[in-house]
Amino acid sequence: MHGMKISFLIHNAYGIGGTITTTFNLARALADRHDVEIISALRHRERPNLNLDPRVRLRPLVDLRHEKDDPRHLAPAKVFPSAEYRYRQYSALTDERIGGALATLDADVVVGTRPGLNVHLALQAPADTVRVGQEHLTLNNHPPRLRNALRRVYPRLDAITPVTEADAASYRRKMRLPGVRVQALPNSVPAPTLPPADGAERVVIAAGRLVPVKRFDLLIEAFAAVAAERPDWQLRIYGKGEEHERLRALIDRLGLYNNVFLMGAAIPMEAEWVKASIGAATSNFEPFGMTIVEAMRCGLPVVSTDCEYGPGEIIAPGEDGRLVPVGDRDALAGALLDLVRDDELRRRMGRSALENSRRFAPAPVVAQAERLFEELLAARRDGRPAAHATDHALVSGGHAAKDTALVAASSVLRTVRKARG
Amino acid sequence: MSVDDNAHAPVGHAPVVKPRADATVEEDGRFVLRVRLPLPDSARPRLLLQLRPKKGQSEETGRVVALESAGPDEWRAVLETAPALAEGRWDAYVLGAPGEERTPLLPGLRDLRTLVSGGGDGRSAPLAVRIPYATKDGRLAVRTWLRASHAEAGRIVFSGRSMTVRARLFGPRLGEGAAALLYRRGRETAVQTPLRAEGDQAFTFTVDYPDLLAEPGPNGAGAAAIWDVYVRPAAGAPRIRVARLLDDVADRKAVFVYPAATLGGVTARPYYTVDNDLSVEVAPTATR
Repeated sequence: MHGMKISFLIHNAYGIGGTITTTFNLARALADRHDVEIISALRHRERPNLNLDPRVRLRPLVDLRHEKDDPRHLAPAKVFPSAEYRYRQYSALTDERIGGALATLDADVVVGTRPGLNVHLALQAPADTVRVGQEHLTLNNHPPRLRNALRRVYPRLDAITPVTEADAASYRRKMRLPGVRVQALPNSVPAPTLPPADGAERVVIAAGRLVPVKRFDLLIEAFAAVAAERPDWQLRIYGKGEEHERLRALIDRLGLYNNVFLMGAAIPMEAEWVKASIGAATSNFEPFGMTIVEAMRCGLPVVSTDCEYGPGEIIAPGEDGRLVPVGDRDALAGALLDLVRDDELRRRMGRSALENSRRFAPAPVVAQAERLFEELLAARRDGRPAAHATDHALVSGGHAAKDTALVAASSVLRTVRKARG
Repeated sequence: MSVDDNAHAPVGHAPVVKPRADATVEEDGRFVLRVRLPLPDSARPRLLLQLRPKKGQSEETGRVVALESAGPDEWRAVLETAPALAEGRWDAYVLGAPGEERTPLLPGLRDLRTLVSGGGDGRSAPLAVRIPYATKDGRLAVRTWLRASHAEAGRIVFSGRSMTVRARLFGPRLGEGAAALLYRRGRETAVQTPLRAEGDQAFTFTVDYPDLLAEPGPNGAGAAAIWDVYVRPAAGAPRIRVARLLDDVADRKAVFVYPAATLGGVTARPYYTVDNDLSVEVAPTATR
């Protein structure tokens, strides 16, 4: 195997978040055999929050500490698509710097980590460089205007890698991407350092930002049934966010202050997961479900809502956890109680979780990534398309037309609102 | 939320800027600390735990424990349960790193699972508790309590006008005249309420909030009053502070939060102090 030169392009490597963590993990694992760098579009502090393997070079492009008032940074971006979530953080200056970095890029493979950066790759990466666009969110949840912007340029990528099979299927169904390989590549979670949980603690743990989509309110309501039957059990919720006061009030209203605790943020979570014997995830929507994998890698069975997209691809229900319908408080309470009541079931599922979650270890995930990159590189060198063209142009054409109609409708609405406003 | 795994990269993968220490509290209460530190075996580094002095006082001698080599660039110190550490906050340092008098340790993984359901079974007075934690400025420290006798608070339940606390006594036996005493901070006066024994040194007591309102405020209305909760195990016995110390939560104040009761323009709410002691705050109801 020949070493490849691999560059990642990321929004801001100096922040905190799932994309940063998983990119750092992947970069570190690839660095064993390849020459890896991370290009960070933005930088706002001296050092990254998360430690980066010293073998991985980090190259920031726009330093907000000195350049946030640069006139070019105050002018709107033209390359970075305006329908992208982070459009306001991009500018003529980021256009210029990212464009410059890509024009002079000396890499075999360049990997974008969000839609707007994938657009940069599609338009500006050197002709002989393999262009891989990661999708850490989901196609279906993108606004129609963004989907249309991506439709225009994603055919110039070599591959799209969503984090779930379900989202990969959406891409194949709804986008016309002839010759572009669409392949799911899950996030990876390194092996915990600590011994796994032993199933003895009477603690359920959930973690995530305290935001409405995570539905910690539903979890607290469901836990009322657990606390009523087993008052010696606790629920600990780790994370912070805008929902904190509302969740606090719910705990008070339900009289659960002896059983349910808002713990604040904990980084790393590993030492917390091992204090529990059940993990919980109750989102309405979850592009992947990183905390489910983290909990399982610490030996916890996880009770999760069966929301789009990740949980159903991570949990084997009845074997290493349980899946319940989205928003179904009683089903959630029932699944938690099944595990709370049965020590042996809990331990058995915990052992299965430990075993089954090994597929999310960096080694197998990075092996998939390496194989993909090598195949794409070989195809590009031979002048072959990265994937066989598929004949679903009519179907995806229909989706494109629908999105265009949606965009038109919403801009009419905006115009009407403006006129009234 | 994501696991910051890189902070715990295996030795040799990440450059050691400041030494980071993983801490484990074992089943028997021993405290094991592992430090990644690139030093030759001959370096003989030591772990220093330094009790943070009270305001205006100077540092006393800390506790020093040998760090033993536990593999390449890995060092391990074991802190036995005896002798107990004095109550307070102990900052962790390494002694013997080249070029520095003492190097503060950064907090690594803290495996405290043995403390989680440490409801006190098998524990006896004097009670010594040690919980490693990360300080606000990102250093490793150990929170310690050392109490000759102790009343461990458990569940608290509420009616509209009272709170009932379940607790357990370590040390003296419950006897005639046992009572809970609430001392108004800054005053000598106390409000008293009887203990109901529930066997195995467990007991409950109920605090009626109106009893705490009867005391006039120091400057009339407008100021908050704090009532510190104690128990007296028998008539004439010394009072014992009610606290919650027997789990893995070093800083309980923001985590164990209880509802407030509103009585005629005044709000009463129990809370845990920065030392995890139980108090009741009585304050004019905030108007919004």
